[in-house]
Amino acid sequence: MEVKILRDVLATNEAIAKENERLFGEKKIFVLNLMASPGAGKTSFILRTIEGLRDDFKMAVVEGDIVSKVDAERIREQGVPAVQINTGGACHLDANMIKNSLALLDLDEIDFLIIENVGNLVCPAEFNLGETLRVMILSVPEGDDKPLKYPLMFTESHVLIVNKIDLLNQTDFDLERFKNVVRRLNSDMKVFELSCKSGEGVEDWIDWFKTRLISFRT
Amino acid sequence: MMHELAVTQEILSIVLAEAESNGAKRINKVRVKVGEMTAVVGDCVCFYFDIISRGTIAEGAEVEIENIPIEARCSACGKVYRASELDFLCPFCGGIGNLISGKELLVERIEIDQLGEGSGSKDP
Ligand SMILES: Nc1nc2c(ncn2[C@@H]2O[C@H](COP(=O)(O)OP(=O)(O)O)[C@@H](O)[C@H]2O)c(=O)[nH]1
Ligand SMILES: [Mg+2]
Ligand SMILES: [Zn+2]
Repeated sequence: MEVKILRDVLATNEAIAKENERLFGEKKIFVLNLMASPGAGKTSFILRTIEGLRDDFKMAVVEGDIVSKVDAERIREQGVPAVQINTGGACHLDANMIKNSLALLDLDEIDFLIIENVGNLVCPAEFNLGETLRVMILSVPEGDDKPLKYPLMFTESHVLIVNKIDLLNQTDFDLERFKNVVRRLNSDMKVFELSCKSGEGVEDWIDWFKTRLISFRT
Repeated sequence: MMHELAVTQEILSIVLAEAESNGAKRINKVRVKVGEMTAVVGDCVCFYFDIISRGTIAEGAEVEIENIPIEARCSACGKVYRASELDFLCPFCGGIGNLISGKELLVERIEIDQLGEGSGSKDP
């Protein structure tokens, strides 16, 4: 006998993501899902963002990167609450992991939450966490051919951070060609070019994000 | 890769729940639709399914993967076309294309033997 099912494999995750989203809405928390390859600069970017916004907003970080357990420590040193998720070796965070980690945070004390996803450009794009904004980082040493290999990440993200631009003249990364390809995949994507090391370009990101946070509040 | 394992576990649990509510004693076939935009590799799903279905009524079931091509509709001229992973722009007018298929990840249907039924129609 044949049984028609037609069920989305990710439906369970989507349902939990919706719950998270509802909770974030209730608590008025802006949630940023940060995705990138290992070493692209996720933690550095979070530290820059904390630095730029700490005077105006209360924030927290959920740390899903399994590579370095010190990341949560580096964030706590800044006086920002950070929860380390045990992903059990998974290649992405899912909505349920986020749901469980929220129990460890005081949600009434947070304006925005940054989730550092597992270092991977492949899988995280498929798993909605209930976030407000999906931000991906591509660092210059990774090369400008990444959209070809990981198109879903580029089509699903709202913001693209091109990090490590201090290394542009040491590589053959063609920024204009790269941005052209990105535009053809996702014409709505907001692109920032910056260096978390030198700080160049960081201010543009901070200004833009601040505006988003303020309009979210009201 | 871990990703396909998580996906396959979800497929198995969907399939087992459906089979049970239809009074199945055995699952013979599972059909899954996988869009070409997803990062899911069909062969890995089949491989994991073989392993994690052991000891369930889905053990030994054939997993058939249908790959769904990436298609976009042009926001300027309205034409639908097959897009590449690298480029969604309209090949006719250069307009911006909106993805209309290629992100699917669906359990489409299963083939089962019900309780009280033989293990195939060839039974006497
Ligand atoms: N040259 C350069 N190095 C950077 C930049 N941002 C981060 N890094 C370095 O890249 C490495 C990985 O950074 P990290 O933030 O831990 O990456 P994550 O694994 O994505 O969290 C560290 O050694 C950083 O110091 C940058 O803008 N320029
Ligand atoms: Mg990190
Ligand atoms: Zn067109």
